[in-house]
Amino acid sequence: MAKVFFLFDTCTDEKDILDGMRSTLGLSVANHYAFCAVLSHTLAPFDDYNKENLEWIRDMEGDAFTLVPANQDNGLTLISIEELGQKLRDVDFIVPYGN
Amino acid sequence: MAKSLGIFVTNPNNMKHVMGVAKAATAKGSKVKIFFTWKGTLLCKDPSFPALCKIADVYICADSYKKMGYDPINDIPEGLTEKKMSTQSSHGDILTNYECYMTL
Amino acid sequence: MKMLHVYRSEPNDIIKKLVEIVSEDRECTSFNLNVENPDYDKLVDMVLAADKTVCWF
Repeated sequence: MAKVFFLFDTCTDEKDILDGMRSTLGLSVANHYAFCAVLSHTLAPFDDYNKENLEWIRDMEGDAFTLVPANQDNGLTLISIEELGQKLRDVDFIVPYGN
Repeated sequence: MAKSLGIFVTNPNNMKHVMGVAKAATAKGSKVKIFFTWKGTLLCKDPSFPALCKIADVYICADSYKKMGYDPINDIPEGLTEKKMSTQSSHGDILTNYECYMTL
Repeated sequence: MKMLHVYRSEPNDIIKKLVEIVSEDRECTSFNLNVENPDYDKLVDMVLAADKTVCWF
């Protein structure tokens, strides 16, 4: 089982990030430890589908982080850039997604 | 034998890079697997996509392809077969079974 | 650990900081893909030689 961390930068189409969360979940259900982080984008409120994806990622021992405090409103876990950097040191794969 | 290489493609603007890396890696004897997902699946319509499928083991996310407006049952991209219309498990296979990894 | 950082575009301040943290105490090289004609042969040599490759945005 690999430990994988998806990263999402600012994008013009928010669906890029939401689909990245789906990819994160896809690896979780394939028995990998999958995490993700939003680096600089403020997300609109999640619909039920994306809320469920986030819950499922956590159920599978992963998590979704954000450097942007406003994304806590969607349930993402706030993290500092220093903490995120330390977590990235420990994973097998870093996956900058899209853009 | 050169190390194997897996490539995860999410960006629709990177066909030149995908082809360049795949050609260079196969020329060195590397086994190359490529998985296209989300907007990366738009590259299935790139004129060079069939040629890419001849030099690398190529899979795409069927669900993403459908979200891009294509029919994953009746419009399988040239170079692929039904079994290569795949899921995120193909990404998992790259992470597990390939020695080197890139995202493009 | 030999780590390769590949840049698909000019890195912003967040990416620069993350690269700095993950690179600490590691032997790192970098490759700029954001040029007119990248040397893919050289890039693949670097990827095959690295223990880990990160292709940043």
